[in-house]
Amino acid sequence: MRQFGHLIVNLLAIVVLGIGGGLGSAWYMVEAGSRLTTRSFGPWTTWIAAGRPDADPYTRAHTARNGLLPIASTLELSFYAKTDSDGDQLQSACDYAVTVEGLEGAWWDLAAFDRRGGVIPNGADRFTFSSDTAMREPDGRAVIVLARDARPGNWLPVGAGKVTLALTVQDAVLAAAVYAAGPIKPLPTIRKLGCR
Amino acid sequence: MNPRFPTPALPERWPNLAPPRLDVRQPARPAPPGWIRKIHWRAAIGALLLAGILHVTATLAVPLVGPGLAYQKLRELLPANTMVVVPPARPGKQLLPFLMPDAYYGICRFSLASEPVTVSAPLADLGWTLSLHTPQGDNFYVIPGQQLRTTDLSLVIVPAAEKSGDLIPAFTRRPAAASEDQIASPSEEGLVIIRAPLKGLAWKGEAEAALARAKCTPGLKP
Repeated sequence: MRQFGHLIVNLLAIVVLGIGGGLGSAWYMVEAGSRLTTRSFGPWTTWIAAGRPDADPYTRAHTARNGLLPIASTLELSFYAKTDSDGDQLQSACDYAVTVEGLEGAWWDLAAFDRRGGVIPNGADRFTFSSDTAMREPDGRAVIVLARDARPGNWLPVGAGKVTLALTVQDAVLAAAVYAAGPIKPLPTIRKLGCR
Repeated sequence: MNPRFPTPALPERWPNLAPPRLDVRQPARPAPPGWIRKIHWRAAIGALLLAGILHVTATLAVPLVGPGLAYQKLRELLPANTMVVVPPARPGKQLLPFLMPDAYYGICRFSLASEPVTVSAPLADLGWTLSLHTPQGDNFYVIPGQQLRTTDLSLVIVPAAEKSGDLIPAFTRRPAAASEDQIASPSEEGLVIIRAPLKGLAWKGEAEAALARAKCTPGLKP
């Protein structure tokens, strides 16, 4: 009877640890990525081989699972931020200032989404700012304010819940530097202005 | 014993100089639960092996059976070899997640089952792109627009084996125009995506007119 108990415990251990560990680690590597597949710059994270035909299996799985169609990271990069520059979760109850500077010469676009990549409903029908549409400060910076209520300047409305910011930068030099793990131009900072 | 230096006799009440025994107690290690102690090392290795196999299998299987695969979603919506213009995404009316909201998209689901596909499209400005994707999402060709300059593109998508032109019937061949190019597709089906970001509402008509000129037609003539 005691041996039978040991056998059951061992079989359960194989099944639970094997299935849980195998699928759990795969899910983590596909969803969150690792230092092998992603690079982070402050709050921004990018999948370094996204869209490339020679991408690693984790990147390909990430792209497929999330229904993405990325342009090859040799030309442009998509960075995603779920936290501000202090590491706190981005949420619509707070206001944030996103300061874009140092991306001169590159085409960029900053959009706010919910956590599943859906555009956030708002009365102003405003969902994104780009290097073509954002108003600049006298020193060339573009400051975009994320807030529920209207703000002067570049106001990007956010609805209820958690927010994901997507920054697309079309700059082959930046893309090459990220892929080669070299130094890159500074990416926008995300500063919390206050919460309700 | 040296008689000149007699060793002084120790008093009987001399204290015991032996170092005191320090009874240092190690913090008790928490004993693992009984069921963990029952796991045989062979079972642990078996669990690790199973975890490794499942990890690799699941990772490789996701692009093949992934529920969110963009191509599967678009395949049901788009006719083959036809350019469809999709207006900017709005809440509840969004083709794919994280698609740039203030941009028109021209999307063509190409199929090379019977013949090559010719694509012609203007790229009006910086930020515009024309990209070709496999059903798995690999971007095997991309060309960006240039600032303040409209580039009229014309390219032919052929199966990878036909890049040399050997399999294209001779009578359908024609001299390649200066701006025309052959692109070898690694898959028989895929997507052509033209992204046209809006600079503002004033540019809406211009972007729509430019995308209306985009074509995706089977055969070698647009």
